[in-house]
Amino acid sequence: MLELISEVRRNRELIWALALKELRVRYKRSALGFIWALLNPLLMMVILATVFSVVMQMPVKQYAVFLLATLLPWTFFAQSLSYAVESIVGNGDLLKKIYIGKAVFPVAAVLSNVINFLLSMIPLVVILVVLRFPFHWTWIYLPVPFLALVLFTLGCGFFCAAAHVFFRDVSHIVQNVLNAWFYASPVIYSLDFVPPKYHIFFRFNPMLYILNGFRLAIYNGQLPTLQSVAMSLGCGIGALIAGYLLFRRHQNTFVFYV
Amino acid sequence: MRQVSIRFENVVQRFRVIRERPDTLREAFTRVLRYKSQIFDFEALKGVSFSVSDGETVGIVGRNGSGKSTTLKIIAGVYQPTSGVVKVSGHVAALIELGAGFHADLTGRENIVMNGLILGMSRREIQAREEGIVEFAELGDFIDSPVKQYSTGMYMRLGFAIAAEVDPDILLVDEILAVGDAGFQQKCMARIEDFRERGKTIVYVSHSMATVKQLCTRALLIHEGVLLADGPPDEIYDKYNELLHQPVGAT
Repeated sequence: MLELISEVRRNRELIWALALKELRVRYKRSALGFIWALLNPLLMMVILATVFSVVMQMPVKQYAVFLLATLLPWTFFAQSLSYAVESIVGNGDLLKKIYIGKAVFPVAAVLSNVINFLLSMIPLVVILVVLRFPFHWTWIYLPVPFLALVLFTLGCGFFCAAAHVFFRDVSHIVQNVLNAWFYASPVIYSLDFVPPKYHIFFRFNPMLYILNGFRLAIYNGQLPTLQSVAMSLGCGIGALIAGYLLFRRHQNTFVFYV
Repeated sequence: MRQVSIRFENVVQRFRVIRERPDTLREAFTRVLRYKSQIFDFEALKGVSFSVSDGETVGIVGRNGSGKSTTLKIIAGVYQPTSGVVKVSGHVAALIELGAGFHADLTGRENIVMNGLILGMSRREIQAREEGIVEFAELGDFIDSPVKQYSTGMYMRLGFAIAAEVDPDILLVDEILAVGDAGFQQKCMARIEDFRERGKTIVYVSHSMATVKQLCTRALLIHEGVLLADGPPDEIYDKYNELLHQPVGAT
């Protein structure tokens, strides 16, 4: 783990440049440029909020805020993972020619989405103001679930990036797993809507604890229980260690398979 | 006694060549079911030992597929050898594939920063050298255009200009002087000469014996993964000529 930290430190300028490049390339030649980073979550929210509050009549007050509080972190997770899974294979040509620390690529993929996520906080604030939704003091707690989210995403990212080198099915599998995972996680609903007898299944989902932290702080104005905090951070750290160890074990052979 | 900057001890590099690679899980499963060996091992280097002292300029010659570039990539750290010991002391820069890591949509200037960082320079170093790179690459106004609009020559020139600004202890050069026109080739040669005069170690791979004779004080002849000869370029030149006149495959 110390190895990872020192590799990231050593290459911090490169990682930063790669992450910015990712964003720049994504928005280059589009008339609105970076505004898309703000617009995308807004449009997504408008669609989902309309469907669930108007059509499905979810029994939730201010459903837009309820939804956005978990949708934004979820989008960060899903998008980071889709980037990270391709990060080694996508840079294969480079790896075959020049020696570079391999961990740089998944980290940069996640970092570019961190920037995107932070930008998407702006439309969230705008919506809260427009809807006259109160800013709870619990906002100051947000860095904690965010940290857990980033660690968990990095861990999954390392795992998928490494696995994808050896089996190119992984990127397709990831997309489908993410789809299923989205509905299996309390993003568009909350655990209260689920019959208690099924709760046991949800407890195995690390995203439950992480998303819960976001929603409680933004929507409910409450802090999660200590147990929930511990679970989310524990899952984050555990995923990172497991993912990185797998990645590190195979990183020297990536060059032969990309 | 000068310090050793590169040492190879019995280095073997084996590549797993897969006739039909299991790119997908399905193929991996069917492989298990049918149990057919579709993998064969190819030894690009079959136990190579040599060492290069600090400040030497060594040429590596050999025919296509002899293992020259593999040797260079091992020195650069791209490949981890299958077995054997490799010791490299000092910062290595490789003029192996110029422009590797250029992003087509970014401008020349943006790519200078990206590529410089990839090659291990810091942002500050790059900024200090940016003007020199732009000038050396002779790109003029194109420097602020996306590199996808560059001609092959321009692309290579920019690649060389960046790589030449990395100030390594060991410089690896792989047949890149074939790029650009005569004028640019001379400039590249001058850069490499300049390196040599400053007492840096250079490993130069080529199948052209002429440039090796011109540049190097020593040459290694590699053939089919085996180090055949190690000595002054003139001697190696004769041996290499003999080899060239043998039919492919006969050893």
